[in-house]
Amino acid sequence: MATVSLSATATEPAYPPLPIRFTGRGSEYFGIWIVNLLLTILTLGIYSAWAKVRRIKYFYRHTELANSSFDFHGSPTRILIGRIVALAMLFVYNYTVRVRSPWVLLVLVAFAVVLPWLLRNSFRFRLYNSSWRGTRFHFRGSVGGAYRVFLLNGFLSLITLYVLAPFTHQRLKAYQHNNSWFGRARFSFHASAGRFYLIYLILLASIVGFGVVIGLAGIGSTFTALGHAQQRSGHVDTREIIRFLIYFYGALLLFGMLIGPLFHALLTNLIWSSTRLENHRIECRLSPWMLMWIGASNFVLVVITLGLFIPWASVRLAKYQVESIRLLPTSDLQEFVDAEPETIGAVGEEAATAFDFDISL
Amino acid sequence: MVPATYFDGRSTRVHGVELSVIGEDLLVSGTDIHLLIPFAQVRVDERLGRAARRLRFPDGGCCEVSDLPALDRLLSATAHRDGWVDRIQRHRRSILLALVAFGVVAGVAYKWALPWAAGEGARRMPPVIARVLSTEAMKTLDSGLLRKSRIAAARQRSLTAQFDALQIPGRGRPKSALLFRDSPQLGANAFTLPDGRIVLLDELTNSIGDDPHILAVLAHELGHAYEHHGLQLLLRGSVMGAFLAFYLGDISQLLAAAPVALIQARYSKDFERQADDIGAAVLRSHGLSPGLLADDLSRLSKLRPDASNGGYLESHPPTDERIRRLREMAR
Repeated sequence: MATVSLSATATEPAYPPLPIRFTGRGSEYFGIWIVNLLLTILTLGIYSAWAKVRRIKYFYRHTELANSSFDFHGSPTRILIGRIVALAMLFVYNYTVRVRSPWVLLVLVAFAVVLPWLLRNSFRFRLYNSSWRGTRFHFRGSVGGAYRVFLLNGFLSLITLYVLAPFTHQRLKAYQHNNSWFGRARFSFHASAGRFYLIYLILLASIVGFGVVIGLAGIGSTFTALGHAQQRSGHVDTREIIRFLIYFYGALLLFGMLIGPLFHALLTNLIWSSTRLENHRIECRLSPWMLMWIGASNFVLVVITLGLFIPWASVRLAKYQVESIRLLPTSDLQEFVDAEPETIGAVGEEAATAFDFDISL
Repeated sequence: MVPATYFDGRSTRVHGVELSVIGEDLLVSGTDIHLLIPFAQVRVDERLGRAARRLRFPDGGCCEVSDLPALDRLLSATAHRDGWVDRIQRHRRSILLALVAFGVVAGVAYKWALPWAAGEGARRMPPVIARVLSTEAMKTLDSGLLRKSRIAAARQRSLTAQFDALQIPGRGRPKSALLFRDSPQLGANAFTLPDGRIVLLDELTNSIGDDPHILAVLAHELGHAYEHHGLQLLLRGSVMGAFLAFYLGDISQLLAAAPVALIQARYSKDFERQADDIGAAVLRSHGLSPGLLADDLSRLSKLRPDASNGGYLESHPPTDERIRRLREMAR
């Protein structure tokens, strides 16, 4: 409070923390959402790429920092290409694995070789197409770095039975954030692997706790009832199965509603509060309780309205998440300079984006 | 005059400016900025809610405008026209229309387009896919729910021979094979896999007893095989799953997983009727009465008076109605 911290920032000119504001509204987004849905189903899904661009633009443009909003410039055709590539890969993967074709090993190796490169390009696509105050973001992670993070670290966490998973996660975030730029200003990442381990331990403890509570609450008795029913008549009573399914699905839902937000809040807070843009610090304060509340109430309302509440639910979640982030600037933010094409080298960003597309479905 | 913020596209420096249209050009003027840009070269962002709109210039600079009504007045003096998607997504009446249209299109797609497409898809799909799927399903079933049949080998051979002789009049015979299995859990049941393999469970064979009545069940299953019902169900389920993931995925993956199973159960009704028709035709062409299948149904429903009990009747809802139809065909 102002009265307590008299001496805190007496010497340097203070730039007050800048909140990020989200100004979107569910009722406005509803129009965009329903038109997106209609056109997507009329075009058998093809329009979904254009829909995605509109959706991202809506959320970016209603996100404001220091009275200027963010913007998205991605081209729908690139997103469409990305989706086709991703679907083709999914199909090839499913087909070869199901058929147990002798090609399966070759397919897996090919994926391992191609995926890190694709993921890096999709990071690049997302950042290069984001801007604030007319200046673009960039991702300059090397291909080698992508292979190290996704293949080497991924493989290490796999063979150590995921003991190294928090470390891999930390490496991935470091790769992403240390290679991100805003104009000529570079982001940096400062969270140690130890802090990731701490969060993963909390996650593990809460999963165990959840399991114990759920177990005591009666999944065991449901199993026993199932066993009894089987012994009695040789047939499983459908009602027993349904009761079991409801119980199982309910537990899964509860898990998603409690553990999911907790993990998400802790990780997001750590990752963003450990990220800086040059000397400007970022602060993220998501409350797990608020996320649980928003998630649970959104869920109920979406079910009750058969999905029509979705636009309000998305806006509500986005608003809470965006507004939990503050920038602690050390300037008036007017000094950022866009990277000029020649500074990127002979291979200009535009030319290099021939294979850049968003592969996230 | 429209107040705006100008960014030169090279730095984040904020320049307060005012916009106006002079003839064919856009004038951007502020304390340190003075630009005259042919309006034909200016790209105007579409409207999205009440977010600031940007006018983009060929050199990479742009102007951010928050006063949207003022911008509209400025644009009305130019050749700029809003795009059609832009217009429909912000007017209350067209949004309502879009909502209704979405409901209608989704309803039509669900009731007619999807079944038609699934039928066509199932007919045209390379047979290898159905074969692979069925082989995988059979492996899973054999290692869990199903056991070796205890029906005598001679009886199995004789039933197989009679089954192999079945023909659908005028339509030949779909690829199919008869498998015998036992399963205490599944009870009196028979089912058809996507590639036409028919699994006959011991309890059904034993509770029905005589060959003509068993053939009636097999004729019905042959109808399922002929119409590729298994594959159709699979295709419909996949499309529904993809759609729901898209519809709900925005907000929750948990929600997207559940409803497909609920929706699928409804489909079986039409499929059962089709299979009954084909089964009846098969029986008649072999000199047997469609009434045999009706006998089977009523016997099975007596076997398990509680129709919701797991077993052959579970996915075959209105048993009484089906029995009536088959008896009429038998006349």
